[in-house]
Amino acid sequence: MPASSTATAVPTAPRTVGPRPPLGRTRARRRETAADIAMMAPPLILVAGLIIVPIGIAVYLSFTDWNGFTSPPHTIGFRNYTRLIHDPAVKHAAFLTLLITAIGTIACNVLGLGVALLLNRNTRINAILRVLVFYPYVVGAVILGFLWSSILGTNGAVDAALGAHHSLPFLSDPKWAIATVVCVIVWSSFGVNVVLYLAGLQTVPDNVLEAAKIDGASPWQTFWRVKLPMLAPTVTVNVVLVVIGLLRVYELILALTAGGPAGETQSFVYNILTSSFDNTQLGYGAAQSVVLMVFIVVVTIVITAARRRSEQAVAA
Amino acid sequence: MTGRRAGRLLAVLVLVLIMVGPLYLMVTNAFKSQHDILTEPFGWPTSGFSLKYLHAALTSPDFNVVRAYGVTVLFVVAVNVLNLLIVGPASYAIARGTRRYHRAVMLVLLAGLFIPGQTLVIPVIYVLKALGLIGTIPGFLLFETTLTVPTTVFLFVAFVQTVPRELDEAARIDGASRYGTFWRVIFPLMRPVAATAMVLNSAGVWTDFVNPQFILGPQSGVYTVTTGVYAAISRLSTNYTVVYPNILLATAPVIVFYVFMQRRIIGGLTAGAIKG
Repeated sequence: MPASSTATAVPTAPRTVGPRPPLGRTRARRRETAADIAMMAPPLILVAGLIIVPIGIAVYLSFTDWNGFTSPPHTIGFRNYTRLIHDPAVKHAAFLTLLITAIGTIACNVLGLGVALLLNRNTRINAILRVLVFYPYVVGAVILGFLWSSILGTNGAVDAALGAHHSLPFLSDPKWAIATVVCVIVWSSFGVNVVLYLAGLQTVPDNVLEAAKIDGASPWQTFWRVKLPMLAPTVTVNVVLVVIGLLRVYELILALTAGGPAGETQSFVYNILTSSFDNTQLGYGAAQSVVLMVFIVVVTIVITAARRRSEQAVAA
Repeated sequence: MTGRRAGRLLAVLVLVLIMVGPLYLMVTNAFKSQHDILTEPFGWPTSGFSLKYLHAALTSPDFNVVRAYGVTVLFVVAVNVLNLLIVGPASYAIARGTRRYHRAVMLVLLAGLFIPGQTLVIPVIYVLKALGLIGTIPGFLLFETTLTVPTTVFLFVAFVQTVPRELDEAARIDGASRYGTFWRVIFPLMRPVAATAMVLNSAGVWTDFVNPQFILGPQSGVYTVTTGVYAAISRLSTNYTVVYPNILLATAPVIVFYVFMQRRIIGGLTAGAIKG
């Protein structure tokens, strides 16, 4: 037994034999509570100090003009919030982020489920393909962004291969750049969805698929009437994960376009971090952070609630 | 039926092309001169094959790759160790607890589940500044560990609840303390869920850019692989003899590690997401 246990071992050992005196019982209980508190305190302190309190501080800073240096910051009321409503950069970033999230969520889920169906059978080749679609996850967004920027950027690999007269403005034309950003984001994240949908497909019982086959269902009908409804919880997880991930998209854009051309591909988080650190307007940045935080929490709740109905349909 | 097979084959082919294409360019162009990259970006580097650029990237004064790898690996290990030490016993206490405060603690710890780390950067800088920890490794590790707490608590509590309480009773009768019970009896059973948590947390720390960039900061002189690559190539992003070798160096070891550990990594992520 470890040395630390001897302290408790001595008093508790006799108590298991005879009837416990009430005093000892409360003392044991108190000791139990003390151990509980000692065990729970470290993460509680961390989460309180570096998540809960900062959320409060973000709200506080959002009412100030803090620039990162002056202390204490000056309170300026709702001015940051009225400013961000009218700020064209914020509006553009919000619109772009919503666009990326909407298209990305649909594309990642359609591709994710489609490729999962394609790779569903347990063969060696499918195992290799599964590894292949998932590798972007371990490489990370910054490095993937740089890689794609050297492929699609001006003078990049594709440009060079097409020759000077046929070059395509993947990252230099605003509309093209937005489309490119969306495609690269989907490319780098749909592998996670493939893997999750594959895991979901494993949970569809074979006898159900067998029954559908015996009833003469075509593969198409089996998918829409049997597999997809049974995947409802998996769909929820995938949609929530992609939405939360895309609402905070930043690193990939930073490396791929650096927000360009002319700020056209700056996402919401990009705007928060770059404009508030480059312009040392951390109070203004905090206001945008608060808006994003509230939005993400609301969207998560709404999606989960909306999906509950189709999930219950499975259970019924 | 054959049309169906052909469609399948075509889909797999497209999939392989779009996934392998970037890797092919990354590897081949790391060994070519700027001229060759610009004239034949898709070509195999037979004529102008050179290790010069890779060597230059390895010994670059701007960005010490080997050091960045060492730093990042240390960060990953430190966050995982801290995470297990801090979250393990707490999850055990919560899972075994029956009182109202156990539930309350659980809810507080899960609060961070939906709060993206990037939106916390500004106020966390404020807090760490007040504590004198901004721009320091301890400050960075504390915040990075904190970000791992919500998911890990969620996974661990759910797991411990499936472990029969009789084990605790037996350990207690044998004279084990609560910490002893957890570390010697419960924790060894948690290996699968601990592996899941470690996969998620390691990937999170390894690919993180925002926190090492803004909490640690370039002025600390400590670069991870992501912030190092960013510092090394964002200024020179059209000098491809710098870009490709750096990307290759930042990617190759991770991909090799991933290929060997793929079952664990993919399995870990799946388990984490489905329970989370």
